[in-house]
Amino acid sequence: MNFKSVQASISNADISTEVSEETIIRLTDINKTFYVAEKQYDSIMEKALNLFKPQKQKEIKALTEINLEIKRGEFLGVIGKNGSGKSTLLKIMTGAFPPDKGGKVEINGRLIRLSLGIGFDANLTARENIYVNGSIIGLTFKKIGQKFDDIIEFADLRSFVDTPVKFFSSGMVTRLAFAIAIHAEADILLLDEFFGGVGDEDFRLKSDKAFKDFIKNDKTIILVTHNLSELKTYAHRVIHIQEGEIVDSGDPEKVIQNYLNNFS
Amino acid sequence: MVDTFVASFFKRIPENNKLERIWVLAKVDFKSRYYYHKLGVFWALIRPAIEILVYYSIFTSLFKTDIEHFELYLFSGLLFWYFFVEGTSKGINVLLSKRYLIESVQFNKVDLLISTTLSALMGFLFNFLAYLLISIIVGGFPFFWTMIYFPVLLLITCLMVLGFSLILSTLSIYLKDIQHFWDMIVMAGFWMTPIVYSQEIFLENLPWLLYVNPMAGLVINLHNVLLYGTPPDFQILGYSFALSLVVFFIGLGLFSKFSHKAAEKI
Repeated sequence: MNFKSVQASISNADISTEVSEETIIRLTDINKTFYVAEKQYDSIMEKALNLFKPQKQKEIKALTEINLEIKRGEFLGVIGKNGSGKSTLLKIMTGAFPPDKGGKVEINGRLIRLSLGIGFDANLTARENIYVNGSIIGLTFKKIGQKFDDIIEFADLRSFVDTPVKFFSSGMVTRLAFAIAIHAEADILLLDEFFGGVGDEDFRLKSDKAFKDFIKNDKTIILVTHNLSELKTYAHRVIHIQEGEIVDSGDPEKVIQNYLNNFS
Repeated sequence: MVDTFVASFFKRIPENNKLERIWVLAKVDFKSRYYYHKLGVFWALIRPAIEILVYYSIFTSLFKTDIEHFELYLFSGLLFWYFFVEGTSKGINVLLSKRYLIESVQFNKVDLLISTTLSALMGFLFNFLAYLLISIIVGGFPFFWTMIYFPVLLLITCLMVLGFSLILSTLSIYLKDIQHFWDMIVMAGFWMTPIVYSQEIFLENLPWLLYVNPMAGLVINLHNVLLYGTPPDFQILGYSFALSLVVFFIGLGLFSKFSHKAAEKI
């Protein structure tokens, strides 16, 4: 038995008792259709020139009849092929994308979505980005000040506090984003293929601990990933999205096994 | 049951940090314009200086303008004009440049527009300091009691900038080339505002422009209170104020109706 699997069994035991009965996210009848014009007229000139020309629009159904309830303290995994609608689902939850008419998104807490490569203004320093992101999330300067050292410590960026983020490596950016997110007192953390292979072993252990603490404090995590072993380690429940529909949901081992059977 | 409802309500809004958020957004916006490019401050100063120099030379030597203290007349008009142009241009781009925030967290996007307006206001205040300095040097101590109206004018201009920013940023969701379109409007607007020519000529020949160009009335009253020491034309002032309110509420209405599409379309 290697180290990893020991950890897995422990963390599962740790986590599984913590899920509460309170619903923190409820998605009801969520559909999402994108209208993509074959030729997109999105400038004034083109709009004026093609005023009377009917536009051919292609409907792309990104999500179909999604009904999902997520409890406070739950670790939910989301799997599915590329383009199946996983990120769209998360953006619906953050409110970045409005659902089609009739759908209802109820969120009962503060929510942060992390995804690779975004989240910072590259010209600003780590310190400034911490303040911008922190106050966008809803923290006062005082609160951010109190947590500032913890964030820097966690991200291991002590000597780069006042360096513009554009000089950071992708690993450093990831660390900073994750450090802000877990210290931001958000209730829900949406991780959209966030740990795309960056982060060394040290950071891995740290984030492992952070995950557990986060869940212990009754926070909710939704993780979209292709790293299935990660889900087996942490998730209480995994949903499988295929062409915009939830085709499978439940016990991680089972759902992942069914998902893998698709490929064989 | 009521208790839990109240408790959950307060839990959802733990602290109100709206003002701090607007402040930090404005601050980084201002800084990134002037500090992060090493020559930012230099360019920020040299461009208006050259512009003033060019207009000054042309209108004194070629057109023989008879405006007294033309350099102050020019500068004071340009103060408001630059504020308006910079504020609205920042507003057009803010949904795009802050997309990384919109996609990650839920927050009131109007804060972004307030912050760009505030950032442009900071630029204005620096220009205003320069203006005061120059006016002391070339005009003695030209301080009039009518300057108490200056904050009123500034407030109306802020509302105007915010209103136009809201409208333009809403349009920017659907029209990618709105910036070019706005640049043209602004270019025309400059010559439709009494900045390089006298406001008497303007009011005599093109009085209707006052109602088309929202900045014309503001610049005229700015000249009155800052330069001539006369009280503002209250009719024009009233119109400016009413118009700024109308623009602001139209902007707010449009923005709240369409801004939820921002992350999807931009």
